Amino acid sequence: MRLSEIGRLVWLNLIQNKFKVFLTSTGIIVGSATIMLVIAIGTGGKLEVAEQFKNLNAGSIDISYEYNGSGFTGGMSGGGMPGGGMPGGGAGSAMPGGGMGGRFSPFDGMGNQMNMTRITLSQEDADNLKESIPEIASATISYTTRQEAEGGSMDESASYTIAGVKENYADISNLEMAIGAFLTKDNDTYKERTCVLGYSVAKEMFDSVLDAYDSPVYIDNRSYVVSGVLMEMGTVASGISPDEAIFIPYETGIKYLTGKDVSPAITVVAEDVNDVESVMEQIVPVLAETYGEKVEFTISDAGSKMEAASKSNETLTLLLMAMAAIVFIVGGIGIMNVLFVSVKERTNEIGILKAIGCDQKDILTEFLLEASCISFVGAVLGVLVSLGITPVIEGFSVRVELSLGGGVLSLLFGVMTGTVFGFYPALKASRLIPVVALNHE
Amino acid sequence: MSESTIIDMKQINKGYMLGTEKVPVLKNVDFRVEKGEFVAILGPSGSGKTTLMNIIGCMDVADSGEYYLDEQPIHCMTEKQMGIVRNKEIGFIFQNYQLIPTYDILQNIIMPLVVRGMTTKEAEKRCMPVIEMLGIGHRLGHKPSELSGGQKQRASIARALVGEPALLLADEPTGALDSASGRDVLALFRQLHGLGNTIVMITHDLNVAKAAGRIVHIIDGCLA
Repeated sequence: MRLSEIGRLVWLNLIQNKFKVFLTSTGIIVGSATIMLVIAIGTGGKLEVAEQFKNLNAGSIDISYEYNGSGFTGGMSGGGMPGGGMPGGGAGSAMPGGGMGGRFSPFDGMGNQMNMTRITLSQEDADNLKESIPEIASATISYTTRQEAEGGSMDESASYTIAGVKENYADISNLEMAIGAFLTKDNDTYKERTCVLGYSVAKEMFDSVLDAYDSPVYIDNRSYVVSGVLMEMGTVASGISPDEAIFIPYETGIKYLTGKDVSPAITVVAEDVNDVESVMEQIVPVLAETYGEKVEFTISDAGSKMEAASKSNETLTLLLMAMAAIVFIVGGIGIMNVLFVSVKERTNEIGILKAIGCDQKDILTEFLLEASCISFVGAVLGVLVSLGITPVIEGFSVRVELSLGGGVLSLLFGVMTGTVFGFYPALKASRLIPVVALNHE
Repeated sequence: MSESTIIDMKQINKGYMLGTEKVPVLKNVDFRVEKGEFVAILGPSGSGKTTLMNIIGCMDVADSGEYYLDEQPIHCMTEKQMGIVRNKEIGFIFQNYQLIPTYDILQNIIMPLVVRGMTTKEAEKRCMPVIEMLGIGHRLGHKPSELSGGQKQRASIARALVGEPALLLADEPTGALDSASGRDVLALFRQLHGLGNTIVMITHDLNVAKAAGRIVHIIDGCLA
């Protein structure tokens, strides 16, 4: 029999059983939609991670100290200000590289007995690290706090993240200027009240980046001159985005905002990404020379953070893939079941076809094509469903990157599942003995 | 075997397993039909006539013996080869019509030609004279369930004829019809026989068998 004629017979059977086709393909609809969305969410996750880390220096390492003494918890870690309400992790996250990673101490197992002494990391510590460890290319120190600030067309002040940074902070953090220049060494030395605004802060206060430049901003009721505005940096891995921060000279912040009792973090950048591990191992003994061995510092590197984020994304994708596979198997079994019933129902028809000369191959092709068509319909509907669901998922702040490749893959998976699971019933139909099939009641 | 012989069966035996015991159904059957003959095989229920028809129609194989259809050794053929013989050499007419319920009458009639490799268009063109002869042209777009028994049997006969087979094989063709429709079908068979078709009809009804030119009796798996 011609393939086109077998196709015509399949078409006839399908259009006469539209609702059955729809119900049969439900599993494939769900499976295809899941595959399409898994790929889209996986791709979206990868792009999200890439965007969050695009400004991150892969060789950067953060060092901070968490004081466990009474009256100071959580928010003080790595940058909490005396009396300030720093959100937990905020300090570290504002630093280049964020605040993730493990603690390095020769006294593992000491638990909460550690860090009962107040320690304030200093520029000298940063310089000492750079001098003692040859693989370190640069080092900087910084801290963050939150303060009321206003400027431009704002009617009332609002709370902003204020970062006290050194002049090399912009290079280490890969910050780019939209207008003006970053803070200078002189700004820091002379404790000048000057600042650099993050892109969003400038837009919020002045509506435009141009208007913000060289204008006054009031932080804690003291005026600062805007020496520059950063380019839009987008979202970052965690913590505070540069877009949302106001950068001021390190010493200026200590003088006017925080006082001496600040917990800054040091950021060092390894000459080579491959040196990161070696640098991290050398940091502890160098700091121990100054603070003794009973002090535990939190040391984290950007690479580990990137790796962790990527791994987390991969795990999520794998989990969703496994879910899609289960859905496909269930959908496939559904198709198999319906086709078995269909073969049973149509045994007499198969007998008639065999009596008039249809061979095994024709019957096998017809049933297999029918299974493929049902699953193709399901796969197409699945892709459409995924397109419909996408805005809903995006509403939950999940990035979904739909792609043509994803669509094609989900169609292929759908059709393949139906065909594979439809094969056995089709084979069974094709092997029916004509006289037995013909006399089937 | 002469060239005019269409069916030549020699020492055909066939039995079925009933539990562990083999029950013989056909015993050393010798049967010949000449081209252009109209033969009725007459026998009561359980006499083996349907089994014989299945073997003649290449839908079942004998346990032993030789069977030649139009000089082709069916007993040596594979299932695939027998399928080709069924399509080209035999036209089946069943007691319960055996029309595919989801296809309309035209689609049912053209199926042997489509199976043979023709397109639907070619097959429809080819079957029109047969449809006209059987007078079912006005029912072509209907489903089998919308036709009377007589009309369904005419459609079944049309399907058997479109492939221009060497042999028409009818299994109790009037069994499911009222007497008037049954008479019509038998008249049609006589007409087809008159046109040169070879017909083998199986029946348990002597009055139906009388329509044939020759009656062969089958009792307990043996031809008399």
